[in-house]
Amino acid sequence: MKRSRFPFVITVVILFFFYLPIIILVINSFNASRFGSGWQGFSLRWYVRLFHEPEIWRATRNSLIIAFSATALALVLGTTAALALYRFAQSRLQRFHYTLIYTPLVVPEILMGISLLMFFVAAQIRLGLSTIFLAHVTFCISFVAMVVLARLQDFDYAIVEAAQDLGAGWWATTRKVLLPLLLPGLIAGGLLAFTLSIDDFVITFFVAGPGSTTLPIRIYSMIKYGSPPLINALSTILLIITFGAVVMSQRISRVKS
Amino acid sequence: MRKWTFPTIIFLVSAFISLASCGRTKPTLNIYTWADYIKPDLVRRFEKEFDCRVVIDTFDSNESMYAKIKAGATGYDLLTPTSYMVSLMNSQNMLQPLDHRLLPNLAHIDPEYLKTALDKTMDHSVPYMIVYTGIAYLKSRVTDFVPSWSMFDRQDLKGRITMLNDMRETIGAALKFLGYSLNSTEENQLQEAKGVVLRWKKNIAKFENEQYKTGVASEEFLLVQAYSGDILQVQKENLDVQFAIPEEGTTISVDDLVIPRTAKEVKLAHSFINFLHDPQVAAENITFLYYLSPNKDSYPLLTPELRHNPALFISPETRAKSEILANLGPANALYVKIWDEIKAAK
Repeated sequence: MKRSRFPFVITVVILFFFYLPIIILVINSFNASRFGSGWQGFSLRWYVRLFHEPEIWRATRNSLIIAFSATALALVLGTTAALALYRFAQSRLQRFHYTLIYTPLVVPEILMGISLLMFFVAAQIRLGLSTIFLAHVTFCISFVAMVVLARLQDFDYAIVEAAQDLGAGWWATTRKVLLPLLLPGLIAGGLLAFTLSIDDFVITFFVAGPGSTTLPIRIYSMIKYGSPPLINALSTILLIITFGAVVMSQRISRVKS
Repeated sequence: MRKWTFPTIIFLVSAFISLASCGRTKPTLNIYTWADYIKPDLVRRFEKEFDCRVVIDTFDSNESMYAKIKAGATGYDLLTPTSYMVSLMNSQNMLQPLDHRLLPNLAHIDPEYLKTALDKTMDHSVPYMIVYTGIAYLKSRVTDFVPSWSMFDRQDLKGRITMLNDMRETIGAALKFLGYSLNSTEENQLQEAKGVVLRWKKNIAKFENEQYKTGVASEEFLLVQAYSGDILQVQKENLDVQFAIPEEGTTISVDDLVIPRTAKEVKLAHSFINFLHDPQVAAENITFLYYLSPNKDSYPLLTPELRHNPALFISPETRAKSEILANLGPANALYVKIWDEIKAAK
């Protein structure tokens, strides 16, 4: 029987739609034209200008600080929340807890942003990186908890009991049994939290204070007067770093196995 | 995993607490503005002259900035909203009156401009940059161009025209075309203007705020309603693009420098406003941004090329007929209704 070519075509079309915009962006970052309307020659002027834009680098640094720190804390809190939800799923308190954890996933961002801002103002907390950090941890916890909880659904708790039976203490069980089994969930949850944090605009816009402009805020505000090609150049650099990191981590895991 | 997670968190948390609190020795001026809206060298010069730090944060629209400040966000010492937003903020007591003793350079502000300004005495706002709305077109493709809003009726350009996707600009153009004020709140004038825009709508490709720059640069569109600063940027790439202000008059958009009520470095903010209106500084800023700072003593310092550019300097007669968009208050709803009807019309 001849295999249908249909899945192949669909795959190609989808990959095309995924990557074509990115390819256009990369190409345009080398375009001398400011408007990307036509090819006006190869140029590195946007890269040169990018290195003379301290504001953009400050915004990038802010975004990275927030994304790394918020992901780290959200991972710890989200995982412990997921463990509690899994272990005591039947208790009424945990069902309430589940609702609480679930809500940020469905609350509109703008509502969350403005309510967090009003809360920070009422509590007289100075707006800045710390408020963005708190806000990001708040919504990242839910995503981490949901992903880890999904991982826990097909986790047999008997394994933990068996480990304890065999004389493993609390710490050994966690480190040798629980964490390795949860690792894929932790990585997935962490990556999700990191991505959400680094490109969040709406919530961040409201809770940002003086000196804490993040990259998305900076990019949005460039729409009116700024130079979009600078962003093409920055995105290309970020892409190279991301691809580099992915390739590196694959190499490392291959060497290990 | 856990081994390093906790120290990392503690390290990161303490790192950015210390980041957030460093540099306390020097006074810090926090500016909240549009991105790329001041020449970076000038900021550095100000920092050196006044021995302070300048921190610039950016917003993407007047409305989101307003929502944020209104909800109680503090810490900003200087804002640059558009003038209609300035009058709204002032009516809500969100701005400080300016101390003119700290602003000797206000003497350089163009009195001709102030006649049209919403805040004529500069009581709470000082104009920063002006943009005119006009018509950009391709010289070689548009024959017998006349500087008039009637160009949007030209049948030979059908489908190759864009107008701004902004109710005040588009309805305003029609009001000017009919000889009315673009801040009109008269129902019958607005209905008449609606008829004109509907007629234009049949002739244009779309209502568009961003792509028209690319469109006219690549000659996809032949005639576009456009902001002067954008077109000056396009002209650097396509010399065929020309800009004209319709003789019936047009919209003058002005971003003002204002100090919010919650500002901490009030004196430093005054110094910054004064610094920006030093004629030499203003001239450098105009040359960098391609927007016009209404600072009359900076004009002679500009290159002749800029000095004679119709997108920066418009004739006194046209300027006399042009207006700044005012905050309409309750009448705004009427515009929204008409604009919805225009957008919904086939």
